[in-house]
Formats: sequence, structure tokens, C-alpha cells
Amino acid sequence: MKTKDRFDLPQGTLDLLIMRVVALGPIHGYAIAQRIQQMSREALQVQQGSLYPALHRLEYKKLLAATWKPSETGREAKFYELTAKGRAQLKTETDNWKRLTELVGLILKGTLEGAS
Amino acid sequence: MSWLRRLISRKRMESDLDKELRFHFESQVDDKMQSGISESEARRLTRLEFGGIDQVKEDCRESRGTQWLESIVQDIRYGLRQLRKSPGFTITAVLTLALGIGATTAIFTLVQQVMLQSLPVNRPDELWRIGDEPHCCNWPGYSQDSDGESGDWNLFPREAYKLFRANTPGFEDLAALQAGNQSLAVRRAGSAGPAETANGEFVSGNFFQTLGVSAWRGRLLVDADDRESAPPVAVMSFHAWQEKYGSDPSVVGSTYQINGRAFTIIGVAPAGFVGATIVDWGMPDIWLPLSTEPLLLGGAARIKNPRVAWLDLIGRVRPGTNPKTLEAQLQSELHGWLASHLADMTPQEKAVWRKQTLRVSPGGAGFSRLRKDYGESLLLLMVTACCVLLVACANIANLLLARGLKRRQQTAVRVALGASRQRLVRNALIESVTLSLIGGAAGVAVAWAGARLILYLAFHMLERSTWIPVQASPSVLVVLFALGVSVLTGVIFGVAPAWMSSHAEPVEAMRGANREVGGGRPWAQKALVIAQAAISLVLLSAAAMLGGSLRNLEHQDFGFSPEGRYLVRIDSPILSGRKQEQLVPFYREIQDRLSAIPGVRSVSCATYAPMSGDQTGHEIRIQGRPEPGPKDDVSADWTRITSGFFETIGARMLAGRTIHEDDNGNTRHVAVINEAFAKKFFGNQSAIGQHFGPAPLRNAGTYEVVGIVQNIHYVRWGFKDPARPMYYIPEAQTARFDQLDLQSDELLSQNLFNIVLWAPGHPANILMQVKKTLAEVDPNLMIYDVQPYSKVIQGTFNQQNMIASLTWLFGAVGLVLAAIGLYGVTAYGVEQRTSEIGVRMALGADRGSVVAMVLRGAFWQVGIGLGVGIPAAIGAGYLMASQLFGVAPWNPLLLAGATVLLGLAALVAAVIPARRAASIDPIQALRSE
Repeated sequence: MKTKDRFDLPQGTLDLLIMRVVALGPIHGYAIAQRIQQMSREALQVQQGSLYPALHRLEYKKLLAATWKPSETGREAKFYELTAKGRAQLKTETDNWKRLTELVGLILKGTLEGAS
Repeated sequence: MSWLRRLISRKRMESDLDKELRFHFESQVDDKMQSGISESEARRLTRLEFGGIDQVKEDCRESRGTQWLESIVQDIRYGLRQLRKSPGFTITAVLTLALGIGATTAIFTLVQQVMLQSLPVNRPDELWRIGDEPHCCNWPGYSQDSDGESGDWNLFPREAYKLFRANTPGFEDLAALQAGNQSLAVRRAGSAGPAETANGEFVSGNFFQTLGVSAWRGRLLVDADDRESAPPVAVMSFHAWQEKYGSDPSVVGSTYQINGRAFTIIGVAPAGFVGATIVDWGMPDIWLPLSTEPLLLGGAARIKNPRVAWLDLIGRVRPGTNPKTLEAQLQSELHGWLASHLADMTPQEKAVWRKQTLRVSPGGAGFSRLRKDYGESLLLLMVTACCVLLVACANIANLLLARGLKRRQQTAVRVALGASRQRLVRNALIESVTLSLIGGAAGVAVAWAGARLILYLAFHMLERSTWIPVQASPSVLVVLFALGVSVLTGVIFGVAPAWMSSHAEPVEAMRGANREVGGGRPWAQKALVIAQAAISLVLLSAAAMLGGSLRNLEHQDFGFSPEGRYLVRIDSPILSGRKQEQLVPFYREIQDRLSAIPGVRSVSCATYAPMSGDQTGHEIRIQGRPEPGPKDDVSADWTRITSGFFETIGARMLAGRTIHEDDNGNTRHVAVINEAFAKKFFGNQSAIGQHFGPAPLRNAGTYEVVGIVQNIHYVRWGFKDPARPMYYIPEAQTARFDQLDLQSDELLSQNLFNIVLWAPGHPANILMQVKKTLAEVDPNLMIYDVQPYSKVIQGTFNQQNMIASLTWLFGAVGLVLAAIGLYGVTAYGVEQRTSEIGVRMALGADRGSVVAMVLRGAFWQVGIGLGVGIPAAIGAGYLMASQLFGVAPWNPLLLAGATVLLGLAALVAAVIPARRAASIDPIQALRSE
């Protein structure tokens, strides 16, 4: 089992990652999980138990839209893509995230310096 | 996507979800196989990684937002499926709920109508009545002292009414209505058929206007109709118009002969309006203006007599009027009016007139005798019904608890599969609420039937002409009450087991599910059985006491012998056209003709016969004694009789002679007194030969006592009270009195309303023969009924009979429910302990000891129940003491009987599971584990 490098995602981050991946083009759930894994250099592994509820939640909020299409293997799969609303949401959330990490970094740095 | 469409397309979404996850699964398997793993191994690994696929699905559904609605529909379906799957449980639960809720709702239906409802009039909260106790029908004199309390005025003469109406600005309008009823013979003008009887009520012209009621047809009375010179008019009640006249529109505007006088019916009162007096004898069919009283009653009319109070007063107060101020003002008006009559007061009245007072009370509910007469009984029944409901709820709780525990394993599996606690509890909630709603609906049906039964038990002896304004159909409020009770029961006892079992560790629950021993059984179930046993015992002992009380009432010594006697009730022959001076020969003829019927031994007539429902009394004076003090009770009841009365009714003479044929207009005026009269007024002196008469003192020489008869119980109440003094005077003798009211009573009492027949041995067709013979004497004579005396007595105790029957019924229902409860708990216990019993038997316990073990468990619970129930039953007896006649609240015999009954029921309920326990095959029991 690949448990060595896994860690828990902070609350709400999964939605952001999913939207980021979906922004690249229509994609099904399995591929989303794979893509996140690849992009995080195998560090993040998204469990089905979190992925699908998140997808359904985003779809319900109309940030994602879904269509059934044949996949690369020929089987029918549910492909997700960003709606206009989702695109706007992705942008604000990405900006928020950047600001947040910057600020958190600043503070952490300060604390570490003070403590050492 | 709207939630509705979501609900409808639920199936498609479910299959989409499944397809989506399956695609993921297959893709993962494919990937693994590509890295060289065999297919079966790849599938195994993927399944491990995936975890509970149903959990994932559930989370997806949850994140869709409308999850709750979808799942509620799902839960309801699931709940119904569960209920269908165990019909035994469902039927027991629904029946139990139906009985419990039905009993409570039936009583509540009546309580609401009798105790809580206002008159169906405009703004009933503005109505206030003068007086605070319902009284009937006439109150003579200028003081209204009752039960030693001085002067609380409830009834008023017309003169006082007019004074109040003219001088009290706090009342927007003040109406008067007769505090009794007037029997009427009604015949459409020009019709040849016999006249119909009807109940009349004299009311003031502004009666309908004060209540704020408008006509259904035609118009209602106005003040202009209530004048001496006005043409006689009358208003008909909707009920009479519908029942007696078939809603014939031509009634309005037609002329009717009412007691021989021409009246025009000017209108019909609205549906649902039954007047301002609610009684169980004779609701008014026809309202007549007060001013027509002399027209119908002639010399006996009370309208001009300030000494006779006969009117109830009800008024609409102006907004913002303070009732206390209003009361004070009316009190001073009353005093002013009394002061103006000092001249015609008796010395006793003069002594107390300043103490006379009156109270005002809310009049929105009208003058309800029903409320006064049935209030206590309904309260008792309400408490009893609530006990039944408690037992029923305990049963439901037990059933649900047992069901919840039985399902523990299933619940554990569901928890293990990822069902959330909330979901499990909600599931149980929905199932039990569904169950209670079904039970509640069935309960409303039971309630409807039950209320009809109560009305039947309470009033079935009354003739058809009297009608009670109480309906059996439950109102919206009552239905809500029933639903509230049922849902509450379901919620409390459905959710608790689900909550408990959802908290259990799944592994624990699954492991221990089949290995239950005696000690581990839930205390809650036992406590419920104990409570049921206790409540049932209280109900049974209450029923036994009330039943005993009823038996004592019916079989007490009334001072006459009802056996073989019949009572005929007729109306005055004056209604069918006789003159006052024709009355004596008329009754003579009736007596002769009825005596000629084969099988009839003797016949006698009386103004009032014992227990016929009427009696009258007044103050008397003894010759040679001084005026009694104001506090002395010198009243006596009296009646006129024809010859042979005591022999006919079966009463014993104690001294002197009875009244016979020779006591007529030409001989001295005689009276027979009862034992109580002799004791009270003459003590140890010999009563025979003494003289007395109605007050005032100057009439004291009127009657000479010629005989003493045993006490005959006349009134339909007061069976615990000492006998009332009474005297009997011959029909054929009339005295002359200067006092107007005495003289009118003297003439009125010559109308003999009751005929008593003695015809032992149940002669065939006697009732028909009597009616036929009376019709031959006078085809227009109004005959109300002909009844065996035993039935008259039974009718007297209708209310007690109703209470005793219903308490028995409730007691029986409680007992059955408690037995079912005990059975359920015991059977469940045996089922749970199957393997334990198997081990015991394998180790050498014989069947007898297993049966004993099970019975011991059951009887422990019943025993504790008795320990709680016996003191409670004794306490209940003391609380009911006022309703009991000749039954002591502490009654070991009845209590022992109730205990034995409960014990037997418990034995039956426990023996069945005990035998099942004894038939357990140890090998089977141990193997099944």
C-alpha cells in the first residue's frame, strides 16, 4: 500500500484541485484522481470516498457540468467540465489560496526565526 | 434541477452513480492488470482500496443537497415495508393505539362539547349572565337562600328584569329567558291530525338580538313582539323545523294552534343555534315572547307576579365594562327593588332581605345544566381514559422496544455498512410515526363509535322528543388532539430503542446478539409491565366500586315497590280542551277505565309520582306553633293523589288511614304525611289530628293529618341524604288561598301528570292496552310514555350506569392490554434466553423448573405492579368517594377480586411463553448458536 508520502488535504482544498484539473478540459473522475496524483508527484492520492462526493457537490452547485461520453478505453464515462460560474470561482479561489499561503508562509517564517 | 424532478429522476441518477463508480473501479483494475497483476488479484486489490462502495454512494447522495427529501420518501417506503412484513406486530400496535387513542378522544369529544364550547353566537365572550348557578324552574319569594348560604340570586321575576334592563348602562342589551320549559301542544291551523308535543321557552323580545343571532328563515323576535297587545308570534328552532316539520318552508308565516291559541311562526333560528340553555331534558323547539305567557297559562302565569323568580338573565356588556363594577351596580339595583316590596314580604324574608346578593358570571357558554350535571363524571371518565391511554402507550413502547432490540443485529450490520446514526434514528422515527398515524386514524374511528356509545348509554332512556345538543363526531380540535397523542407516543418510544442500539458498538452487538441471559434484560420493559399492572388494577378496582355503587343505587329501598308497577306520563287535559272543574271527574274516569284492563289490580293518579323526574315543595306552618326563625328549614314537598295511591305504588301506612273516595269537596281537608314529616315537625307527639298548611301562618289550619306513610324516595337525586318531609293531599279537595302564587299552584297541581298502575305478573300487551284505553277516554290527551317502573328507576341512574359501564370497558381494555404487554415481554425474554435455557436443561433442569423460572419472572413484575397498584387503587377510591353509594373506598373484597382477575390474566399471559420455554430442545438450542 502506498501510504508513505500521503497526507491529509486541508478542508476545501480538494474542490480547488479538482476545479484546477477540470479547467484543463473535459475529464472523467478516474482521470482526475490520476492527474492529481501525477501533478503532485505521487504525493497526493485522492480516495474515491472523497473524490466523488466532491464532484457531486460541485455539480450540484453548478460549478461543474457533466456529460456521458465514450472514454479512451471505449467505455462510457462521465466527463466533467467547468461552467462559466466554475471558471470564475476557480479564479477567486486560486487568488485566495495564493494570498493565504503567502501570509501563512510569512507568519511561519517569523515564528521559526524567533524560536531558533 | 428542481427537487421534484430530482425525486422523480431518482432511479436514473442512482444508475448513473453506479455506472460512474463502476467505471472508476474497472479503470483501476485495468491499470493494475497492465502492470502485470492477474485479473483476480487486481480486482481483489482494487476492492480493498475502494472500501465500502455503498458508503461512497451514500456520501455522493448526501452532497446533492436534496438528499433529505429523497431519503425521507425512501424511509417511509422502508417503514411501510417493515410494517407489512410483520403484520402481527403492526395489527397489535394499531389496535392498541386505536383503543387507547379512541377512548381518550371519545371522552375528549364530549368534554370539549359539554365543558369547553361556547354558544354558537356572535362574540360569546361579551356575554355575561346575572347569577352563577343554573337553577330550575321557579323560585318563590324574596330570598334565594340555598344550602344555608344566604341569598345568591340566580332567577329573577319579570319586574326585576325590566328594572335591570332599564337602569344598567353596562349592558348593551339584557335578555331574559325562562329557566325551565313549557310543554306545548302544537297543531297547524285547519289540520285535523292530533297535536304534536313540543318544548316551548318564553324569552324576552330582545333575546336573539342580545345573542347576536340572525334568522335562517323569516325573522326572529323583536321587542315589539313582546308586548301585551302584540299579535302572538313564535320562532321555531332549526332542529325542530328539520326533524318535525321536514324543513317545510311554508312553516314560516303559517298560523299554528299552540295550546289552543293561534300563533304565527315568524321564522326559524339558524342551524346549530339551540338557545342559551343547554340541558338534557327538552331543548326548546319553539321560542315564545314573555308577553304570551298569560295567554297560554291563564291564572297560573308568573309574568305579573313579583314573588315568583323564573327568568334567567343574560346580557351583552359594553366593551370595557368592568364585571366587578357591573356586579356592584346590579346588587344595589336588586336591593332597591327588594326595598320596594317590603310590604309583601314574610317576616322571614324581611329579616334577610339585606343579605340578598347576586353575582355576575361569564355567559359565553350559556346556562349549561349539562356542564353542572356531567362535569364530574366526565372528569372521572377522562382520567380513566387517560389511564387506558397510558397502558396503551406502555404497550406500544414495549412492542417498539422489543422490536428495536430484536433488530439490534440488523442495526449493527447497517452501522457496519456505514449507515449514519442520524439516519438510523430518523428511520426508526419515521417508522414509528407512520405507525402512530395509522393508529391515530383508527383511533378517531373508535372515538366516533365510542362517543355514540356514551351518548346512548347516558341518554337512551329519554324519549325521542327530547334531544341533546351533543354530537358524536369529533371536531378538528379533537382530531388534532388524537394525532398529537399518537405521534408523541411514537416519537418517544420509537426513537429510544433506535438511539440505544445505534450507540452500541457494531462488533459487540453482532457478537452478543444470540447470547442473552436473564440478568441482561432491559429494565425499561419490566418497568413498563409493572406500570401497566398497577394502572390496570386501579382501573379494575374503580370499575368494581362504581359497579357496586350502581347496584346499590338500583336495589336500594325506595320506600315503594317498583315490581309489577307501571308509570304513565301524560300532559294536562286542559291542553286538549278540558276546563279546570272537569279535572276531578276526568281522572276518576281514567282510573275506572284503566282498572278495567284485565290483569290490572289497581290504578291511581298523582301530580307527581316517585322518581318521575318532577317534584315541588314549599314552606309550611304548623298550627299552634310560632313563626319559625329565618334559619329554620320548614319546607316540605307535596303532591296530589287520587284514592288508593299508596296501595297501588306499594308503600306501607305506618299510622292512621290512607286517602280514599270520601275525601272530596264536601269534607274537611285532609293530608297524609310521611315519616320524615312526622319526625321533623311533630317529633314524639302524635301527628294524627294535627293541622298544618302552606306559609304564611294564617294558612296553618288548612290540612288535618289523617295518616302517616313510610318515606317514599321522590326525587331522582340525593340518595345519600335523609328523607325529605312530604305530604299528600286528595285530588278532589281544593283550598282557597289569598296568596296569588299559592292559589295558582293549587289549581295547577290538580293536573295529575302521572298515572301509576299495579299489574303484577307481566300481563301481555299491557303497555299497548293502556295507551289504547287512554286514547278512548280522550283522543287528544298527550301521552309521553308508558314504562315499567323498574325501567324508570334504571333511567334515573343512566349517568351512573354510563360511568360504571365505561369504567368496566376501560378496565377490560386496560387488562387485555396489560396482559398483551406481559405476554410480549415474557415471550421476548424466552426467545432471547433460548440458549441459556438450553444449557440449563442440558445440565439437568427439568421442564417444571423452567416453567417455574419463567413464571417467577413474570409474577415478580406483576407482584411489584400490585404493590404499587393496591395503594393507588385505595387512593383512587377515596378520590371517587363522592361518586360512590354504599361502597366504602377501602374495600378489601373488591380489591381482592380485582387482584385475582389481574392475576388470572397475568397467568394466561405468562403460561404460553413458559410452555414454549419448557418445550425447548437443548440440543437444538445449543446447536443454533
